[in-house]
Amino acid sequence: MRPLTEEESKAVFEKLANYIGKNLVHLIDRPDEPYCFRLHKDRVYYVSESSMRLGVSVARPSLISLGTCFGKFSKSGKFKLHVTSLDYLAQYAKYKVWIKPNGEMSFLYGNHVLKNHLGRITEDTPEHQGVVVYSMNDVPLGFGVTSRSTVDTRKLDPTAIIVFHQADVGEYLRDEDTLF
Amino acid sequence: MDVSDILAAQAEKHKAIAVEKEIPLDVDAGFLAVTDPNPIEKESYDENVEEYLQSTARDGVQVLLSALFSLPTTSSPDGPLAQLPPPTTTLPRAKPLPKPKPPTKWEKFARAKGIQKTRKDKKEWDEEKQEWVNRWGWKGKNKEEETQWLSEVPANADVDYDPTKKARDERKARVAKNERQHLQNLARAQASGAERKQRKADIDRTLATTRVSTASMGKYDKKLDGEKKLREVKRKFEPTEVSADVEKKNNLALLAKIGNVPAKRSKHEGNDAAINVRKAVRFASKGEGGVALARRAEGKAARGKAGRRK
Repeated sequence: MRPLTEEESKAVFEKLANYIGKNLVHLIDRPDEPYCFRLHKDRVYYVSESSMRLGVSVARPSLISLGTCFGKFSKSGKFKLHVTSLDYLAQYAKYKVWIKPNGEMSFLYGNHVLKNHLGRITEDTPEHQGVVVYSMNDVPLGFGVTSRSTVDTRKLDPTAIIVFHQADVGEYLRDEDTLF
Repeated sequence: MDVSDILAAQAEKHKAIAVEKEIPLDVDAGFLAVTDPNPIEKESYDENVEEYLQSTARDGVQVLLSALFSLPTTSSPDGPLAQLPPPTTTLPRAKPLPKPKPPTKWEKFARAKGIQKTRKDKKEWDEEKQEWVNRWGWKGKNKEEETQWLSEVPANADVDYDPTKKARDERKARVAKNERQHLQNLARAQASGAERKQRKADIDRTLATTRVSTASMGKYDKKLDGEKKLREVKRKFEPTEVSADVEKKNNLALLAKIGNVPAKRSKHEGNDAAINVRKAVRFASKGEGGVALARRAEGKAARGKAGRRK
């Protein structure tokens, strides 16, 4: 377990800012308790300072996980967000997409969001923008990237992809052994 | 008796060897060169180029030859010989000026101390011989001690003490020392160059690169004797238990630096405000834009005033 280097922090922040924009400050500067990012076995954990200090005393091979896993670094140094970060993304998300009940299962099996499954979408969402996907009763289901801006979606046919799938809560079951 | 023909012929003959030019030609007999600084006469040049060039060349050669024939001559079996004068035209150097030599250690010291260089003659006055002798070299004065037929032996000298050998050894040692210092000066002059250092660094870097440039990253390469282990870049991380405040500050500074809004999005939306101003304007003006909105507001105010007056 170690703090992130500057490049690593930059990679993580840029990825997070894609979903929550300037709300990223609220993750770093929390009023309740100081939180920090820690890297352990290529995974980035968002952890309160008190648990981090407890975790220091655990030997590196014995430490399985701590705090919330936000994602992992690939061998080439790119950062990939995991669905475990969804709690924080959903809390601070700037752009949201709600999907109809008939599209929920499709999305939870790892498919992209189609236009006919789209319930609502935040107005003025640009294209290639990180969005959090909710069910119609505001339960966060995952996140993805928009393929078109909100204005452009109106002209599309019902089977066109609106949001590219990146992560969904179904991964808690599908990738249980590699996720955390 | 009519001599006009003879006079005319004579004048013609003289005319042939005299060259009349507005600006006299520059003759450099030392280089056998003539320079014609006169501008080209356009009319005759356009008329016949070949003829014009030929006449100019002829004039030049004529002037040069008359300059050569006016030189003082000496007779020789092959005929009269003339010595060419030293050249007057200054030519530029072919090579750059030599660089000043780097100062020796003594020269540096002497300059720092303000010691003036005094030139010694090669010859030295010998009182005994009453003549000038060489300081060093053949029959040099520095070998005087070695050639004495009688010399003093110190009281505590060894049995095999040889004053001649001792003096010679001392002299040879001085020569060797001087040679050593000379070599050291040369080495210092070489080493002080930044160029040399740069080249050494380049070679080291190239060597380090080639050592890891095989398929196995140099793992199975044949090791040379005395080959050092490659130094890798040492990674340095912050301590794990760094104060959360410090870390927060660092992170916020980093956020400010990266501007935390990706460049992609800033194209679509300049600011992060709650209201999208552009959209609001578009809505209020029914898609006609801000200028139309302002004009309409103005018109409405004017109409309102007019109504009141009524």
